[in-house]
Order: sequence, then structure tokens, then C-alpha cells
Amino acid sequence: MREQILRVDHLSKAFVMHAIDRRVESLREVSFTVGRGEHLALAGASGAGKSSLLRCIHRTYLPDSGRVTLTTDAGPIELTSLSDRHMARLRGRDFGYVSQFLQAPPRMGPLELVTGAARRRGLGPRAAADAAAEALGLLGVDELLWDVDCAVLSGGERQRVNLAAGTVSPPQLLLLDEPVSALDPANRERALQRIEQLRAQDVSVVAVYHDMQIIRRLADRVLVMENGRVIAEGDPTDVLGRHITALEEVAL
Amino acid sequence: MTIQDLLDRTDQNDDRPVVLDEQGKREVRRAVLSGICIPGYQVPFGSREMPVARGWGSGGLQVTVAIGGRDDTIKVIDQGDDEGVNAVNLRRLIAGTLGARTTADTRECTITQSRHRIPEERLHSDQVLVLQVPVSEPLRPVEKSIPECDRMHAEAEYAKIWVAMYEDLVTGGVVNASSGYPVLVNDRYLMSPSPIPRWDVPRLSGAEQLTVLAHGRDKKIYAVPPHTTVVPVTFDDVPFEVEYAAGARCELCGSQDVYLVETRDGGYLCSDTEWCARVRDGDIDPIRHELQVPRSHYPDPGRRVRNAGIELVGRSGLDHTEAVGRTAPGQEWSLAVEHLTKVFGGRLGSSAVRAVDDVTFDVAPGEALGIIGESGSGKSTVMRCIVGEEHATSGVVRLAAVDEGRTNVLDLDDSRRRALRIGLMSVVHQDPAAGLDLRISAGGNIAERLTAAGWRSFWDIRQRAAALLDRVEVPLDRIDDVVGQFSGGMRQRVQIAKALASEPEVLLLDEPTTGLDASVAAGVLDLLRELIAEREIAVVVVSHDFQVIRALTDRALVMHRGTVIEEGLTDQLLADPHRAYTQRLVAAAHV
Repeated sequence: MREQILRVDHLSKAFVMHAIDRRVESLREVSFTVGRGEHLALAGASGAGKSSLLRCIHRTYLPDSGRVTLTTDAGPIELTSLSDRHMARLRGRDFGYVSQFLQAPPRMGPLELVTGAARRRGLGPRAAADAAAEALGLLGVDELLWDVDCAVLSGGERQRVNLAAGTVSPPQLLLLDEPVSALDPANRERALQRIEQLRAQDVSVVAVYHDMQIIRRLADRVLVMENGRVIAEGDPTDVLGRHITALEEVAL
Repeated sequence: MTIQDLLDRTDQNDDRPVVLDEQGKREVRRAVLSGICIPGYQVPFGSREMPVARGWGSGGLQVTVAIGGRDDTIKVIDQGDDEGVNAVNLRRLIAGTLGARTTADTRECTITQSRHRIPEERLHSDQVLVLQVPVSEPLRPVEKSIPECDRMHAEAEYAKIWVAMYEDLVTGGVVNASSGYPVLVNDRYLMSPSPIPRWDVPRLSGAEQLTVLAHGRDKKIYAVPPHTTVVPVTFDDVPFEVEYAAGARCELCGSQDVYLVETRDGGYLCSDTEWCARVRDGDIDPIRHELQVPRSHYPDPGRRVRNAGIELVGRSGLDHTEAVGRTAPGQEWSLAVEHLTKVFGGRLGSSAVRAVDDVTFDVAPGEALGIIGESGSGKSTVMRCIVGEEHATSGVVRLAAVDEGRTNVLDLDDSRRRALRIGLMSVVHQDPAAGLDLRISAGGNIAERLTAAGWRSFWDIRQRAAALLDRVEVPLDRIDDVVGQFSGGMRQRVQIAKALASEPEVLLLDEPTTGLDASVAAGVLDLLRELIAEREIAVVVVSHDFQVIRALTDRALVMHRGTVIEEGLTDQLLADPHRAYTQRLVAAAHV
């Protein structure tokens, strides 16, 4: 039995859109756990609530009810009720979130961005710069691009920079939202290898993928989501065989 | 003794002209006594009309007439000359009024009234020197507002005079003030010893005589009592210099170590005509005179700023790695605001406005908090109440660095709050003109903050200014350019450098990029982000611009009609706003 890193209990989230006077249910009573070094994949159709789940854990979305408990060096911490200040400090240092699209401050280059991420994880200035260079290199980001404004990079380059920032000096838990969706086959292979290496570093991963082959290759376990609920959970080969075949076939 | 004898000893019983009645004399004497009690402090007095034009020594005349009597011996000099027209006339007037004797010999007189000089003969403790003053306020060249000058004296806050010195040194290489060189008296009051030349300034310090300075037009009397220190204002590493030309000597008497004036054909003469005549008669005591020669202040060109051979280092001279933000004991914050409320009272039919209503937040070192809202939401008023530019109606503001956070900063008086703005808490305003003096150089603006914080070394100040300007990417060769010639973005960078000059623990940014065009604003934003990241500083950013808030802050408050309607992590507020107002605001900003 692995040591538990993350525990999500009955997490629910609805968006109230005042302008059109509508309420949209996004997550309904989602519960699961993640063990140390475990790779948990989230599968399901678009709009099923996969990304919302990651964002609720990261508190980019504020959950309505339920609990998210993260095990840190200082013991378990409940995230949904944590003060903003402590949440801001915890982010980046104790767990990371790699969004689907890179959000870089204006005029910031990849190296500076990734170095900043490494600094937040406690590395000194020199060590952070070295780690950032290594992370960018591992993901095949051309050194010529390291100091240019992130805004001029291509979609695939941005995604690799984003993944580099997430995986540099990795925290014990990473939330990855479609980390390889925009990559060509060669770069995609590099990125997958990098994510695979995280297991060796005992990093737990919760990731959203649309490609079932990737889930079969990387994930220890998969949650299948539909309409904001978890409808199935288990070993990828079993669960995907029963629940996703139809979807996957459509995608293929 | 008969009554007639007594009357004979008073001034009333003769037919001498009265230029100052007894009431006037008593008022002048009272002002002189006050001046003696507070060395260097300008005592106001009801200056009377004198039978000389104001500006011709009317102040000095009132003092001499008020403190003098029949037993005195009066000497009057003008520009060091006993026979100047003005000196002759004043002497006759004084002697005629007091019934006193007159003399040209400094050794014999009891009162010397003078313009421009202290006699070369060393004065002793039984003598009084009365100086006629053309400019009494030493701060006049740097501050036009009289109440502001009074405030600076009251708080002994003389940063502006240091900035003027700094500006003189970077533009001319030497301090320009000739007569009226500013001095610090008794380590407290800044005083203009005008009208004496720099040569005589060191001779005032620790002197045996009482010196009374009077300005008839400004209605001010001030004094330097015997044995009082008088220190010319100068940087620790820039020597104060007296007027002295090596090798120059008086054409008449041959004196060298006296104050000499240049003649039209390039020669020199003693400024003090009495001294010159006595040297020629062999009637001087050279050893007594030597005691007063300001030899240690003779010019040494090798030590001047231009010749010091010091290179500006730039940003590598910055070291703020040891700067650790302070928090209150048992708390996490450097700055805490509790239930802050500001009501602008209604008048002339308009109703009262609650501009800020019960606002509460705190900020930790290394944390940046955003306050976002549209115009009129009260966000800038919150900032102004914290800074002290506006008086809050109620509420509490605490700083960890002030009394470990126990004191409500809002209860401190204005001078204490001003002091906080110099050291602890810095503001970057939307308009650079609000935080900078556009008439002085970039370096001078930073020098103002540093001198106010107690820096007294010219080169330390200059190196620090250079390092900060380099850090904010202002080219080093523009350090001595007047800020008014800078572009908007460059001015804002200088303002940021000034705000960081004294390594504040709290930094308040009020719409820091709002007046700038997009590309310049991006550069300034970029810089602020780096500066915040490299310091353990508590930052509050007020802006209506989500881009600014997103780029700089971790947490944010949304203000609407004076109240905080929503708060959260900045990315959460933008991605998942809850209140209808915030949703509209976010939607309108397209972020």
C-alpha cells in the first residue's frame, strides 16, 4: 500500500453565471486518493469535468463543498479552507499545476520562466538556472529560444516550456492538464519520457489525457469521468476496455 | 541722590532723537534673549520702521539701538570698511541716538554692527557682534513655501538642503553658495549666517562673543551664543572650503592669511580696512589672530569631487540579499489594515460619501496583494489613508516595524507618519511628478530619499543612486540629467528607484503603469515583477487593470463602492469570480 499524498472527498463545484442567470454543475461529489509516486490519469469526454477537477485542487477554481487533503512534510493540509496566503505559498513549492496553455507574464523568456519556477521550489539562483537549462534541454526546447519572449513561441514550444516549468525540480505532486496535446511525434515522445521519469523521482501525478494509448502507457490507475462524476476507476486496461472503447473509436 | 539725578541717567531726559521707543526696544531685547536660548532659531519680532530703508541694515540697527546704551562703544563696518558711506551714516545715527562713543578699533568696542564681515581681530567675551542680514531663511533657495520651511525647521528635516549641495557638486564640482553658506547651529537648527563669506563661517564656531543676526524686512532675529558649535553643511567626504588663493597677499600690508578681495587689476587687498592699517602700523597680535585663521579649510583641489577618480559601479553595487521583511510577533504580516473607513463629509448641499467602508486586509513579507476596482471604487483612497495623505475617519493601520504592530499608525502625528514614508514605507504614484522633483537630476531625486534617511557621504549616495538607476535600466550617463527631460516611462523608473532607495519594508504601488503606453508599461511592469521577486518586501498594488494585478500579485481584493466585495487568489478571482460585479468586471477586461 502506497503512502497517500492526495485525498479528495466529495468535491463539488458549480458555476453561477449572473449575467445569464444560470447555474452550471461542473463537479458532483468527486472522491479519490493518490499515493506517493502514483500516476493517476483522468479520462472522459470534453466537458466531463476533468480540467475543472485539477483546477479545483489547485484552487484556480474555488470548490463549493468537499475536501482536498494534501500530505506535506509538515503533515496533512486541507486545501479548500486554507487561507489564500498559505495556498499561494504552497503552490509551486509543494505541488505544481501545468495548465493546458502557457500563461507567461509579458516579455518573459522560457529560461527566466523556468528558473523562476525552480526558485519557488527552493533552489538557489545558480542551481535554479542550471536546473532550468536541463529541464528545457530534456524537452528539446531549442537554446536559441531560451531568452525570447514566450509570446512569440509556437503552440508546441509553449507547451514544452510549460511542462519544463512544471517538471523542473519537481514537487511531490504534479497536476498536468493535457501536457502533450499540441506536440509533434518526436517532441511528444520526449515529453512522455520526461513524465515517465517522474515516477523514478517518486513524484505523484494527476493528469488529463485524451489519448488512451498514453494512459495505458503511463498511468497506474485511471478515473473515468462523465458529467461531473467519476463513473469508473481502476486499472487502465480493465477500465478503459469497458468504458472508453466507443469514445476512443470515435476519436480514432 | 535726587530725582533729577535718576532722570539724568535715563534716556527720557535729554533731547537725543528717539529712533526706537522703549516698547520697541523691549520687544527686540526679548527676541534677542529668545534667540540666545535657542541658538540658530529665527525668532519673529515686530520690526519697526527705521530712518534707513529696509535692506540697508534696519534689522541690525534695531538690535544695536535696543541693546546698546550710553556706556557702549560702537563700531560699524560695511564690507569690512569703517569708512563706507553706509557705515558712516549708521554709526552717526547710532551714536547720536544712544549717546555712545564710537571707535574704529575692534579691541575697544563693545558692540560691532557689521555687514558682510566678522572683523579679523578676534572678538572676546565682553563684545557683541550684530550682523545685518539680507536673507534670513536658509531654506529659501530650495523651498518657496514659508509654512513648509517652518515645518522643516520644526522637524529638523533638512534633506532638501543636502540635495541642493549634491546638485551643486554634480553640476559644478564644488558647492556654489558664497555668502550665506548654510550652517547647522548647536547640532539642531539650520541657519543662514549671511552675509559673511565662507572665510568667516568657521570663525563663528565656538567664538567667545555673542553674535546676533537680525533681518528687518523678514522681521527675524537669531543668535549664536558664545561657545556654540556652528558647522557648515557638507558631506562627510567633501571638504568645506573657504575662499583662499595660494600666494595671494594684500598689496598694502602684505597679509596672506586674511580674507582678501580682488581688485580690478587682479591684485588683492585686505577686506578689513582696520586690520590692514594696523598691520602696517605693527599694531597687531599675530598669535591671537592665528587662532582664528580657518587654515584647515583651505581649498585642496586634489580632494574635490571632480578629481576624486571614483568610478560609478552600477547595479553590481546593490546588495539586498540580507534584507529580510519584518513581521509582527506571532503574526504573519508586515502591514495590517483593519476596518478602515473614510467618509468625505457633505457640504453645500452635497451628501456625505463613504469612500472606504470597513476595509480589512494584511500583507506578509514577500507577498504582493492587489486591490482592483473601477474608478471611484475607493481603492486609491485606501492607499492614501495608509500613506497618510488622507486622514481616515476610523479604523486601524499597523506596521510590524512600528512598535511591533501594536500602535495604530493612524494615531501618529504627521511628522511621525512622514518619517515612516522616508524609511519604512514607499509609494510609487501614478504620476511621477507626485513622487519626484522634476527640476533636479535623477541622482538628486534619489539623494533626497537617502539624505532624509541620514546618509551623509556624497560618494556613498552617488554609488547607491547609480546602482539603483542601473537596476531600473536608466542609463548611467543620465544620472545627472534633470528628470523633467526624461520620458514618462523613464520618469516612472526613476520614481521606482527612489522608492526602493531606503530598502522599505512596505511598498505601495498606485496605478504604477497607468499613464504609460502599452510597450513602455510592459517594460515597467516587468521591472516591478523582478524587483518584487528579489526582495522580501510587502507590496500592495492598486490598479483598475487586471493585467497589472495578474502580473504582480498573488492575492487580490475587489473593491466596489468603498467595500471589499470579493477576495481570493489572483488567478482564482480571474478564472472563477463569484460576485456578479466581479464577473462583469472580468468579462469587460477580456482576460
